[in-house]
Amino acid sequence: MRRSALDLGVGIFVIIGILALSWLSVKLGRVEFLGGHGYQVTADFPSVGGLKPGSTVEIAGVEIGRVESISLADYQARVHMWIRSDVKLQEDSIASIKTKGLIGEKYVRINPGGSDRLIPPNGRIREVEAPVDFEELLSKYIFGKV
Amino acid sequence: MTRYRQLSFILAGFLLLVVAREGWAGPPTDQLKTSIDKVIQILEDPALKVDGRVKERRTAVRKVANDIFDFAETARRSLARHWQGRTDREREEFVQLFSDLLERSYISKIELYGGEKMQYGREQLDGDYAMVSSKILTKQGQEVPVDYRMLRRGDRWLVYDVVIEGVSLISNYRTQFNKIIQTSSYGELVKKMRTKQEEFLEEEAKSKGTAKN
Repeated sequence: MRRSALDLGVGIFVIIGILALSWLSVKLGRVEFLGGHGYQVTADFPSVGGLKPGSTVEIAGVEIGRVESISLADYQARVHMWIRSDVKLQEDSIASIKTKGLIGEKYVRINPGGSDRLIPPNGRIREVEAPVDFEELLSKYIFGKV
Repeated sequence: MTRYRQLSFILAGFLLLVVAREGWAGPPTDQLKTSIDKVIQILEDPALKVDGRVKERRTAVRKVANDIFDFAETARRSLARHWQGRTDREREEFVQLFSDLLERSYISKIELYGGEKMQYGREQLDGDYAMVSSKILTKQGQEVPVDYRMLRRGDRWLVYDVVIEGVSLISNYRTQFNKIIQTSSYGELVKKMRTKQEEFLEEEAKSKGTAKN
């Protein structure tokens, strides 16, 4: 009798532990259930330089979506992004790859436009800015002055 | 005889290929190139290089720029969200102030042109939009990538954005305008642009006065 109460206690404790762990992994892994409410857009960049699936998409520093995948299309990087459904992107929005801080992680910043036309689901952000390559700038600075 | 014929066939084929290759650059690149060549011609014209004719030269450059640039589109895109709340008169005024701003910032730089070479790269077409990649080769052997984003208006292709080293002109102004409008107001932005233009005109008149003396 006493023994089984102890077993039950341990069992409950383990289950709570497992639940806590799974909650943690969902939180940390940023897994979205139900596919997440949103739509997909793509953007072609000459280079993505360090952007990865899972990187954030932001407007004014507020997260509005995530990078889903990055593929190569016609020797350019095609970035597929999920955008929250309540955020509408104008057709002349500009997507740029920026760095958090000087050497922080890369993210996609969207500079909203003013057009009446919106980018439809599975549409494309035409206006893009590639990340500034510091090494390239540095080498230009170093080797430039002949 | 047959050998000659074969040879001429090969030659003709080769020539055709060369012509086709040149022809691959579509109308956007062609129109852009024509305008840039015109500007270079004006800048290299020794008759216009004389000090007293700076104004004449600027007018000539601006005329070519008006033909290839869609200033209204650039202004609209730079103002972005704030464009929609404006009346027609405000929009007209803003386009004027904005093209003055661009002229102020860039024409003086264009005048520093010293025989840099232009190299046109690939052209990407997407409906009524096109992007022409090019490179400016400086005399020091540096390459500066410049991309022109163009829009079709009838049979003309007009530039609405210039991306230099990956930095877009519209994006730059959009961020600045947005910041000013959000921290103060649209009226403040227009006032700022107007005073800058007046200051510039004053300064120009002054420098002209001293040049004459």
